[in-house]
Amino acid sequence: MTLTIDGHAVTVPKGTLIVEAAKLIGVEIPVFCYHHKLDPVGACRLCLVELSPGPPRAQTACTTPVAEGMTVRVTSPMAVKSRADILEFELTNHPLDCPVCDKGGECPLQDFTYRHGYPVSRVQEPRLHFAKPLPISDRIALDRERCVLCYRCTRYYDEVAWEQELTTNQRGVQSYIATQFDQPLQSVFSGNIIDLCPVGALTSRVWRFQSRPWDMDHTASVCSRCAVGCNVNLWERRGELMRVTARENVEIDDGWICDRGRFEYTHVNSPERLAQPRVQRRPAAWEEALSRIAAAIKGRGPRLGLSIPADITNEEAFLLARLLNGPLRGARVVMPGRTSLPGPPANQLAIKDLDGCRTIVVVAADVRADAPIVNLRVKKAVAKSGARLLTVNPELIDFDRHPGVEHVAYEPGHAAAAVRKLFDHPLLQEGPVGILYGDSAGAEDGAAIATAVAWLAKEIGAKVMPLYRATNERGVLALGILNGDSLDGCEYVFTWGQALAGGVPKGVRFLACWDDFARPYHDRAQVVIPAVTFAEDQGSYTNLEGRVQFLVPPLQPKPPLRQGWEVLQDLGLALGLGSDYLGIFQVQRDAAAAYPALAALAVPPAPAPPPAPVAMGAARP
Amino acid sequence: MSARPPKRRRTPSLGKELVGLAKGLGTTFGEMLKPVITVAYPEDKTPRSERYRGRHYLRRYENGLERCIGCELCAAACPVGCILVVAAENTEQNRVSPGERYAKVYEINMLRCIFCGYCEEACPVQAIVLGPEYELSDTSRDKFIYTKEMLLEPDPIQLRAEDGS
Repeated sequence: MTLTIDGHAVTVPKGTLIVEAAKLIGVEIPVFCYHHKLDPVGACRLCLVELSPGPPRAQTACTTPVAEGMTVRVTSPMAVKSRADILEFELTNHPLDCPVCDKGGECPLQDFTYRHGYPVSRVQEPRLHFAKPLPISDRIALDRERCVLCYRCTRYYDEVAWEQELTTNQRGVQSYIATQFDQPLQSVFSGNIIDLCPVGALTSRVWRFQSRPWDMDHTASVCSRCAVGCNVNLWERRGELMRVTARENVEIDDGWICDRGRFEYTHVNSPERLAQPRVQRRPAAWEEALSRIAAAIKGRGPRLGLSIPADITNEEAFLLARLLNGPLRGARVVMPGRTSLPGPPANQLAIKDLDGCRTIVVVAADVRADAPIVNLRVKKAVAKSGARLLTVNPELIDFDRHPGVEHVAYEPGHAAAAVRKLFDHPLLQEGPVGILYGDSAGAEDGAAIATAVAWLAKEIGAKVMPLYRATNERGVLALGILNGDSLDGCEYVFTWGQALAGGVPKGVRFLACWDDFARPYHDRAQVVIPAVTFAEDQGSYTNLEGRVQFLVPPLQPKPPLRQGWEVLQDLGLALGLGSDYLGIFQVQRDAAAAYPALAALAVPPAPAPPPAPVAMGAARP
Repeated sequence: MSARPPKRRRTPSLGKELVGLAKGLGTTFGEMLKPVITVAYPEDKTPRSERYRGRHYLRRYENGLERCIGCELCAAACPVGCILVVAAENTEQNRVSPGERYAKVYEINMLRCIFCGYCEEACPVQAIVLGPEYELSDTSRDKFIYTKEMLLEPDPIQLRAEDGS
């Protein structure tokens, strides 16, 4: 359909809304309630434009689909005045506390008032006041005075998260956002309402008053909390990680991140982080610490146990694999916190293809806990694309609150048998079918489930997605270095990262630890070396669909802290394995050549796209 | 320029010499009688305009609370980037300023400051002001980082209590 917006012709598919068509040609129509991931509602009336043919009044561009031959006037006197009047209404009760507001500097209300509003305020009357700030959870504060009642947050909870934790109380100008029964927010997806809020009504309590937006630099990185690999922006100020926000990648996260990714970053700035290698509890140089470790672990074969972190990068795993094929051959390698699922399946379902599935089957997994953003993607497929959902779990999971979802219960421990019985289930007779499977938080045999799911998928022509739990579990499985579940019986133990599930085994003759924080069992370690976090480490992760994504660290490791690949290279040198990598690109090139699953490493990360220029809309009235 | 014929040299007369001397001395003694415009700095100082922009101060309210709310608009307005503000949240136990927010760290690099006064202009609560002092020399570079304690004006309540005792 071709229409004209302020004299510019634009051709868009049928059903496109006027705001989206205007965005394509760079004409700014200000919006509060409209959000491209939520259904249009027309609550804030800020997007008023003049249409012809159409009624002789301004119409909302966010609820009106385009029509053939339509003429939209964004800068006509009526449209400009209508929007300025609406902004004046929005500001009648808005407290002008921008100097203390965390949204100040990146606030659409500020920007739109500047670009579309009247230059002076005529409001003399007292403004509406509410108690503020109101903590609606440990991590989110609500300021009702600043709210412009766009309902983005409540609609997000209803449409996207299916949680119904936020609601609107009272009517008209007295309306205010409240949590259900004044209970604190429980959802693991609550943080997204901070990004959604177009004003400073919903702000992060973790980042509260830490910095202003213009103080910070940010890098386009990847979340390290789980295997989904959501794209995030990491914000840095004065050598500290300030906050984490979502960065929309429609193929993975669709613009949302979970609260783990958004709020679990404060440890990066902790003064208690380990900073210095220690040998027998006294500070030592890296060379001494690494040569002590090398001397103790070299050639021990199966008597050596290695524990690697969930967020090990592909590059670190590659360098470790070189050691395990050489001087550390035969060592037992475990990854605490991972599932028991085997390596990548043959017919992988991509996250973005969930939208096109006719039927989605979730087997033995609490998707909300293991892969939170995949959970939102499944909900989107059900709510917006009409996919049918079948959950196969011993108990009801959060999907089952949706009335159309079918649930198949099974006796705990018999998930694989339950999967085989699905063969003639009526929902699976029509494709495409996507099967998501986990190991029920370790309660089921992941290998048996994977075999059963592979059989079922082959029989009915479905695609499958294993829900790995550890961040880079899939990358490590592709390298094939994991070969155990516990370190019991190992005499020489090198732990890297988070504590082992069962603690350090008894009877250990040598213990070395590589960690970012001190842990109780470090007292028994002969050598402790400090580790970097996701905000300092270079490298890449393989997410649960096999996509390789690069970390872009906003912080430099503070000396003597060193990056993981550098330490592993030096450990290799101490073990007598020559290598001369001068930078991570060389590691990535070699890893790409050695493993087909890491072939994407050969292509260096694309530089971040330049920020979109601010579209200048209508001048002020 | 055309060349002129050289002037004929005349022998100076004594009378004319004396007149010249008297004229010169007249100027000398005349200046002695005029009002003095130099100032014996540092014993004496010139008066400054009321709007003189010298050393910064952070003001307080009458009740002793700091005016600064840590909004960083001064730092944003500063053309040389010499102001560092790190904000924090007021709590019931630790109330530093009215409202929600206060400046936990407030530092000005006086070596970098150009005393333009934009910070004063940007401040929404009239917390940062430029005072009349201009004698800011010191003995090391570190001493020119003025911290919040150095910039804050004295607490009026504490002052009154000290006056009373």
